[in-house]
Amino acid sequence: MDFDFTDEQEQLRDAVRKWVDKGYDFERRRRIVKAGGFSRDAYGQLADLGLAGLYIPEAQGGLGMGPVEGMVVMEELGRGIVLEPLTQTLIAGGLLSGYAPEAVQSAWLPKIASGESLVVLAYQERAARYHFENCEAKAALAQDKWTLCATKSIVPAGDQADAFMVPAMANGKMALFLVERTAAGVSTRGYGTQDGARAAEVTLEDAPATLITQQGLTALTHAIDIGIAASCAEAVGVMDKTLAITVEYMNTRKQFGVAISSFQALRHRVADMKMQLELARSMSYYASLKLNAPVEERRRALARAKYQLGVSMRFMGQQAVQLHGGIAVTDEYIVSHYFKKLTQLEMTFGDTLHHLGEVSRQMQDMAGVFA
Amino acid sequence: MDLAFTPEEQTFREEIRAWVQANLPADISHKVHNALRLSRDDMQRWAKILGKKGWLGHGWPKKFGGPGWNAVQKHLFEEECALAGAPRVVPFGPVMVAPVIMAFGNAEQQKRFLPGIASGEVWWSQGYSEPGAGSDLASVKCRAERAGDKYIVNGQKTWTTLGQYGEWIFCLVRTNTEGKPQAGISFLLIDMKSPGVTVRPIVLLDGEAEVNEVWFDNVEVPAENLIGEENKGWTYAKHLLSHERTNIADVNRSKRELERLKRIAKAEGVYDDVRFRDEIAKLEVDVVALEMLVLRVLSAEKSGKNSLDIAGLLKIRGSEIQQRYSELMMLAAGPYSLPFIEEAMEAGWQGDFPGGVTANAPLASTYFNLRKTTIYGGSNEVQRNIVSQFVLG
Repeated sequence: MDFDFTDEQEQLRDAVRKWVDKGYDFERRRRIVKAGGFSRDAYGQLADLGLAGLYIPEAQGGLGMGPVEGMVVMEELGRGIVLEPLTQTLIAGGLLSGYAPEAVQSAWLPKIASGESLVVLAYQERAARYHFENCEAKAALAQDKWTLCATKSIVPAGDQADAFMVPAMANGKMALFLVERTAAGVSTRGYGTQDGARAAEVTLEDAPATLITQQGLTALTHAIDIGIAASCAEAVGVMDKTLAITVEYMNTRKQFGVAISSFQALRHRVADMKMQLELARSMSYYASLKLNAPVEERRRALARAKYQLGVSMRFMGQQAVQLHGGIAVTDEYIVSHYFKKLTQLEMTFGDTLHHLGEVSRQMQDMAGVFA
Repeated sequence: MDLAFTPEEQTFREEIRAWVQANLPADISHKVHNALRLSRDDMQRWAKILGKKGWLGHGWPKKFGGPGWNAVQKHLFEEECALAGAPRVVPFGPVMVAPVIMAFGNAEQQKRFLPGIASGEVWWSQGYSEPGAGSDLASVKCRAERAGDKYIVNGQKTWTTLGQYGEWIFCLVRTNTEGKPQAGISFLLIDMKSPGVTVRPIVLLDGEAEVNEVWFDNVEVPAENLIGEENKGWTYAKHLLSHERTNIADVNRSKRELERLKRIAKAEGVYDDVRFRDEIAKLEVDVVALEMLVLRVLSAEKSGKNSLDIAGLLKIRGSEIQQRYSELMMLAAGPYSLPFIEEAMEAGWQGDFPGGVTANAPLASTYFNLRKTTIYGGSNEVQRNIVSQFVLG
């Protein structure tokens, strides 16, 4: 049992933090939001740092790292509320290297690692809400060629990505496919999301597809879990910075002739924020450290983690706004953007009530970190 | 970073588990698992069993006869004891006063007091709180005036947990009224059999006399019972409070009680009620998150790499969880938690408890009793002051 980071992990953290501080300041982020919520240039810089290849084996041009490194990176990106969806790239790396046939791996993994290709998960369907196992997309096989009919929603950077990982039903069983955005029968309709990032509706009409795996539900579940762990880590970074911004503001802002940090009613809220931050950080560690556990244990752990993170995120965001007062509900001030990011993260890969239901359903007699 | 305990730690855990299984009397663990009342004899019997093995002072360094375990080993020991249904060690001797005697007492005092604490022979009580000094501990008034080779002690202590059994009591006493309140406090060990000491139990809302008032009326205390220097007691008391950081979260006991809550909810038919079950699920996450927090602190202590100064958070969260499981247990039994039949909280009661489930008898009393947890040890509001000081400066 050991929660220290290795020197290499600390170096990775420093490198990402440095890039966020110097290369992705609030003004640049604002420009990216205005321009649509996704910057290929910024994404390319993440790839230049090696981050796009984090979960891709070295033989395929990646770094071959694991969940703890993923967590470290996502925390740092969270601190800068980076818009470009690296979580999706972690999912793509983990999913393709874990489930795709050799040919698909060697065709795509090097391009993903270099940042040349952005591959994202297109799984959200209108009727499914957070129950991704309910899939209506259809896959058909004719003359050894797969085609897909599907409508997928809120696909991250969906009109910018180069390819999609798409779950669809093939002969009554979920399978997972890769579909290129420029392929025939693919149309996208892009829009901004509440956090300033970009998403799209993706419609597939007999679009040509490559099979990733017939074990679609197993793979998709794994993909979602990689996404949950990454989102938890990202949220910790967002919350850490949110608290820091709030503390700085409270020590500067004066009302009734004194810094507002001197009021006990407000100080206790800050103590409660610190509590939520540390509980969240603890459960983010837990999520990442359970990512390679047997599937039942993994699922139970990640549901617990996302529930805790959801509670913490909502609390932190709301408190940060309240403690700032009016300035926090303006677009101009930075904290409103952290608040929106937290809100969006809570509803990504299953919200708090959803995961409470999952925890409740999966409860056993004994419970603890190791049970 | 690794969640798993090392093979050595696993082996250690198994050794502890086997020993506890072989040595914890079944009648005692039965009481603990069912929240039945423990007698002085139950508590002391277990203390002496531990004492004989050298584990009553399980946090002690080897130099003073302890096992010299590291933070993780201590945690594993406490967890195995808690899950097996061992009573909590009454902390005043081995956990609270002993480290102060080790750090600040002289060789003579160490030789005189530590063996009786290590063996469980001598029952210690804590004399901190006073009617006018609760969370504001520095305002203690109980006077100790030096007269030759003695101190004459006059005043009152209160909330003295299990003080009715106490043989010795360690007290914060005022030896100086000048200057800052913290600067005039001394740390004094007092024989409770001394003339002038009166102990009066306070009956609490659950019907039990768990705490006491202790009066000192011209009690003569030999000056050799002063720990360290006169007027330095506040420093020693702070050392004591900082000594047990993860223990205060009591997460191991909460894990055991969460399991019991599920048992009660199943027996009472509310485990499959979504509204009720979700409340248990929330508590389950709370317990796991607290355990992770505790493990992080232990890991930091073990490696010494990152200090993690979050004792206040552990206290706040740990106490909230204890209150919550007791609340949910009571609510699970619903109306059948309402009959107040004290005999039914004793082991072996053969009567007919209303509703037919005697296990429901102590639920409300436990709920009432555990309201203390957010008040004692520095109220949770004081803890929030400390945490916010740390965050905001």
